[in-house]
Amino acid sequence: MGTDPAETLPIEVTDLSKDYGEVLANDSLSFTVRTGEVFGFLGPNGAGKSTLIRMLLGLLKPTGGTATVLGADIHDEEALIEAKQRIGYLPAQLGFEEAVTGEEILDYHASMKGEQRVDELLDIFSPPLERPIREYSTGNERMLGLIQAFMHDPDLVIMDEPTSGLDPLMQEEFNEFVRRERDAGTTIFFSSHVLSEVRRVCDRVGIIRAGELVELEDIETLLDQGGKRVRVHTTDDASGEIAALDGVVDVTQFPDGVQFIYTGEYNALVEELARHDVRDVEISEPPLEDVFVHYYGTSGTEEGADGESAGEESPDRKSAGEESIDV
Amino acid sequence: MFETTRYEAGRRVRGTVLLSIGISLYAAFIVWYFTVLEGVSIEKLFEELPPAMQDAFGAESLSTIEGFLGAEVYSFIWVLGLGLYLAYVAGGMIAGDVENDRLDLLLSFPISRGRLLAEKFASLLLPIVVVNVVVGCAVYLLVDAIGESIELTHLALTHALSIPYLLVCAAIGTVFSVLVSRAAIAERGAIGLVFVLFLVESAVGSAEEYDWIQYISPTHYYDPTTLLVDGSYELIDSAILLLAFLALLLLSGIVFDRRDI
Repeated sequence: MGTDPAETLPIEVTDLSKDYGEVLANDSLSFTVRTGEVFGFLGPNGAGKSTLIRMLLGLLKPTGGTATVLGADIHDEEALIEAKQRIGYLPAQLGFEEAVTGEEILDYHASMKGEQRVDELLDIFSPPLERPIREYSTGNERMLGLIQAFMHDPDLVIMDEPTSGLDPLMQEEFNEFVRRERDAGTTIFFSSHVLSEVRRVCDRVGIIRAGELVELEDIETLLDQGGKRVRVHTTDDASGEIAALDGVVDVTQFPDGVQFIYTGEYNALVEELARHDVRDVEISEPPLEDVFVHYYGTSGTEEGADGESAGEESPDRKSAGEESIDV
Repeated sequence: MFETTRYEAGRRVRGTVLLSIGISLYAAFIVWYFTVLEGVSIEKLFEELPPAMQDAFGAESLSTIEGFLGAEVYSFIWVLGLGLYLAYVAGGMIAGDVENDRLDLLLSFPISRGRLLAEKFASLLLPIVVVNVVVGCAVYLLVDAIGESIELTHLALTHALSIPYLLVCAAIGTVFSVLVSRAAIAERGAIGLVFVLFLVESAVGSAEEYDWIQYISPTHYYDPTTLLVDGSYELIDSAILLLAFLALLLLSGIVFDRRDI
């Protein structure tokens, strides 16, 4: 943390691409994660979030561009192994062996990575260590996953959909934990498809749709105006009037009510609702796909655009050219 | 060093114990059966079988305890049974981790893929060594118990030289394991190949025109019955098996290294 952040950015992604042939999972992504921040990597399911994370850890080989993790080039296995001693990873699927106890798993992880913080973490999270994994609830398994990700006091923690499967109360605890870790100096990079979660804990956010990174400048606006999904059961006439409110978009009428995305003032919505005979109302976080439909007119899960390959090659050539000038 | 081997070996203790007990019990049954059959001309029974079958059963000098054990215990349990078992277990090794999304976390450890694979493979030495030692001792004591005797060096060689053979079977499984992402497919493929190689060797042994085919089968380089009866062996055979094992493991390492997982 004392090192010059300009020299060793925790994560630096440059024109990174992964082309599976039929699907362009990551299309020339470029961004940096700064030391000591919580960086949220937001995108609908299937947008290429896991692909990026798995490239950063050397599980997948990029088809173009490069990235460094704690200064290590992801193409350089030796350097990446060195860096992994200071990286914690929480995968989307933990896949712990069913017959093994939590304790055995932590012992194994400790022997591979170290266990400087394991006691402290066990005070916060308390999975039943003496039990085999097959008896674990989803929440217990995620807790064990969090412990293994932080147990060796890493400088950088990468988490793939860390809150999926956690109930709201545990999500709140998780958010609190992430904030404390950030304040203690750990850099945290995590992916999510839930807008509200990212909004609550992240310092900065990158949004990926169809394998491409959305402009970082647009993110604040997107987050502020993401809106809520409102579903009202009422009479047909009332439905029409409610849907006519300012800030209502993406209206869907159904037999005994209406559903829409609301981006306006909450007071105005509540006042309008109070005027009608509302049988049921549900206000929830809109799925990210709907937010994208609202802002871009298309959902984020479709395949990426073609014709980017020429662009992703040029920076490499430029840097190669610079080197030759130096020589 | 060897943290992964230690962890994986710990997961194999139960299976290894059960396997050792099971095979020892089977050996006990065969030794007992030998005492029952004494006086009956067993070889006559086998002479009626076609030569290929005789070879497959290793039906040489069945009236001696060495020959009987060689045919009934070692040709079947060691060459076929343990060979298939190790191919099966090794087949599920990496493919099973991929299928259960377990490999993501393992590959985030600060070790190379090559070392992870080698350490996982090394955990298979536990069943290989323990089953050999336990059953070897059991057979010696059982034979002694019925008043027969068996040459100790022959018995020790039969077990020791089975190790290169079993390593090759496990390495065949490992190649399948790094090639596919479904444990069941890798396991079936590995078992199928080892079994076909076993059949090929027994089938073409007597057909001179095609007898070169037998050289591709690992079973050609390990003959427990001859070892038990005469104690004769060719070191070159074991060397060939060890080389094949190393080549297969190296191939697995290269494939695993290049794979997108």
